[in-house]
Formats: sequence, structure tokens, C-alpha cells
Amino acid sequence: MDYIFIDKTIKTSIYKQIASSISKMIDTGKLTYNDKLPTEKEICEVFGVSQTAVKMAYQQLIDQHKIKRIKGKGTFVTNRETYHQEFPNIYAFEADQENECQDILFDCINDEYMTQRMLKMDKNESFYVIHRLIKSKKNPLVYQHVYLPEKFYPKLKKNYPYKDGLFSLIQETYHHRIHHIQNTFSPALASSAEAQLLNILSGEAIYLIRSQIFDDNQHIIGYIVNYFPGEFSSFEVTVHAKP
Amino acid sequence: MQSHKIFELISIDRREKRPYDVQIKDRIKALIIDQTFYYQDILPDPLELSAALNIDQEYASQAYKNLMKENFIKKTEQGYEVAYLELTNYFFDRNVAIYDAIIALGLTPSIECVSKKIVTLSDDIAKGFGFHTARTFLYINRIYKGNQRPLIILENYLPMSIFPDIDQALTGIEPLNAFIFEHYGLYAKESHRITKAVNLPDHIAKYLNEPAGSPSISSTNHVYDQYKRLIDYGQSHSTSSYYFQSIISPNK
Repeated sequence: MDYIFIDKTIKTSIYKQIASSISKMIDTGKLTYNDKLPTEKEICEVFGVSQTAVKMAYQQLIDQHKIKRIKGKGTFVTNRETYHQEFPNIYAFEADQENECQDILFDCINDEYMTQRMLKMDKNESFYVIHRLIKSKKNPLVYQHVYLPEKFYPKLKKNYPYKDGLFSLIQETYHHRIHHIQNTFSPALASSAEAQLLNILSGEAIYLIRSQIFDDNQHIIGYIVNYFPGEFSSFEVTVHAKP
Repeated sequence: MQSHKIFELISIDRREKRPYDVQIKDRIKALIIDQTFYYQDILPDPLELSAALNIDQEYASQAYKNLMKENFIKKTEQGYEVAYLELTNYFFDRNVAIYDAIIALGLTPSIECVSKKIVTLSDDIAKGFGFHTARTFLYINRIYKGNQRPLIILENYLPMSIFPDIDQALTGIEPLNAFIFEHYGLYAKESHRITKAVNLPDHIAKYLNEPAGSPSISSTNHVYDQYKRLIDYGQSHSTSSYYFQSIISPNK
């Protein structure tokens, strides 16, 4: 609480002083995402101010999306960057060199019916599974399950050359031509494991985007399941009526 | 669908390492996603299914439980029903009215009007919505249904300066785009949408027959007419079983 400073001798209202103290800490990165703020009562006790003033200060910060209140848990800093993209560029993060990519699992399997079906593969055909977490400025941007049929990516290794992203691996390393990507958008609730990886709360909304990647011969050369944290992801589009 | 056909489709492999309940769950999920099982199809009872597969009933029950958790099926009076609905008319590619999208899904559309009133907004709020001068609006809050089930709830702010007397003319249960064209000669030339995944707030969940906190796609829409005027600001929330598709063609 030592980051709040109130000067009762000046004209600036108390609530504005509280709000701007906290705001300054968030803007300068001294308070970061998920940091817990003192309760209204605690501030009242230390500074001898009215609870209304504290309420107003917090409300202003909530309106500015800098903090949020979670019922029964407290008030938290929420200044996390939102991944906002125009629709055709949902995969813009793949080529962003500033992002950090962390592989969590690499495997080659042949007994997952659901995925074989999404990849339109026969039973017992093998495919690679890559689970990865992509972070932007330390915050998880998306958690991904990537499935690549072995027949299209022979000898794929854990340390595949992928500094330029998955699409560069598909198109440049393996010389596949992407004809189109078919995407399904749906909402889901984060399981506790997904929540932990995405640094959100269990049960919070996830923007689930499933993508099937087709080549010129209409083969499915990849299948990606993206788990975007709902609160920190939005996709934008402008559509036109037919003339 | 014929029930003997269903049992042929949901099979298990006894040599596979994965437990039967996971196998059943994955098979049903795949059959739903590729639309072999369609929205509102009734699945066999777990008892029947386990008898047909000659396995312990617990496996089928567990599979169904997990399918419900993932919103693929729902338990209704009729039994276990497919709840997964995919809006295959490409929400992000074309400007399609929700009403027509519901028809395209093969469902019978209807609209329930929850609220319809004239409101005056403060400068801050109206500007936040994108209106420069308009301050008085017809506010409507409506539920779009398919086969009587709520699919989407949509709030709209329509400026009275562009739609004089709209509070009298609009009953609230007619498709909005068609109404605006018929009465005012305006059409939604351009629609700008921002979508997010959110947890449904209590008051909205209630209208959609969903538990509070259910996952939902929320969309904020700005609609512009042929004169490039903002004629409608709206915000929608879908049920958790409402999905949509879109295609990206990178080399075009």
C-alpha cells in the first residue's frame, strides 16, 4: 500500500489522488497483471479517508480497464495487453519476432481418432503433436495444439527451424502451398490446466479457434487448436453488403 | 437417424490404449463436428449404448458427462441431444442478417422482444458508441431463436434522428434489416464487428437459458448505411452452442 500517497492539504480531491497513485504504478510497471490491491477498508484505515472516496477511485480505474474486482477474492491489476487483430490476420503472432514461444510437448502418435478425423487421415497413420505457449511481453497470448501429419512433414524434429513461425515451417521448410485455412470460432471455459498456462482463472472464457489448413490438392496439411484468453483477445472484421 | 446406424458409427477399439470413455467421447465429438450428428439429434441413452458396445455402463456415462461439460451435448426431456451448432454461413465473410443465418441453419427463426424504449444517452456514452450528434435512440433488446430455442440476444441503439417514429412503426419482432429498408430505404451497407469470448453475465444468461458464467461469443457491431452514416450500434451475446466459421485464403 506504500505506493499510495495522499496530500490532504491540496485541493485535488482524495479519490483522484488515490486513483492517480495507483494508475502511475500500473503505467510504470511497478504494479503488474494480477497484483492484488488493498481493500477499501484497508485504505480507509491507513489514510483516514472515507470509503466513498476509495470506492470512487477504484470505480474510475475499473472503468479504465486498469483493475478489476473479482467477487470474494479482491481487486486486481488487469493491465494486460489485448491481442487485437483484424480477422484475416488472426495468425499475425506467428511472424512476430518479439513474441516468445515455448514448446511444452512434442510427440508423434497414431491413435487419436478425433484428430485423425480432423486431419482426414486413416486410422493408424501417424501425426506429430506440438503443444506450445506463445507469450507477448511475458503474458501468454495463446496456447496452441498443433497437429501435423507425418506423411507431409517427414523427419520433423523437436527443434524444428521455426524462428519465423509455424507457417514458415509449412511453406518454406516443407514447401507446402497453403490454399486456404478453414476456421471455426467458438467459446469455451478454461479448465484449470488451461487457465494456469494462460494466466487466467479457471472457468473464465476462452476464445477457441480451430483451423484446418488445406493445400492446393485439398489435402489437410495441418490442424491447429488455439486457446486464446477471452478477456485479452478480440478479432475485428468489416463486412460489406453485396451491391 | 436410425438407432442401429448410430451404434455402427460409435465403435470402440479394444486394442487401443486409451480408456473406453475417452474413445466414445472422441468418436461422438468427431461425428458432431463433421455434422454426421446434427444440432438437436438425439443420441442413444448411455445404457443402450453400453449394452450395444458390450461394455460397463460407467464408460458411456462418463463419456456423456464430459461431452456435456464441453457443450457438445445437452440433457433435455427428449434425452441426450446434440447442442453443437455451427453457423456455416461465414459470419466474418459476408454481411448476413442473423434472421437469415438461422434459416440457413435449417431452423425456424423467431424473435422475442424483451425491451423496446426511447432512451437519451449522455455525451460520453453516445460518443463512446460512435455517434457524433445523435443523443436520442430507440433501444431494443431482442432474442433471436431457432426452433423456439434462444440463440443470440442482441441490443441495438437506433438514432431517432435517422429513424423518426421508429418507436411506433417497429413492433420489435420483425427482422431489423428488412424493416429498415422497407420503411426508411436504408440498408446496412457496411458492418463493423469486434468479437470476443466472454462469460455470460447473470442477466443475459437468464434470457438465453444458460447457467450464469457460460462461455459466449460477444460481438460489438457498428452498422453504416449507403450514405456512410452510423445507423445502428449493437451488442450481441450468443449461447455457448453457437459457433461460426470463416475461411482465410492467404494467397489471394
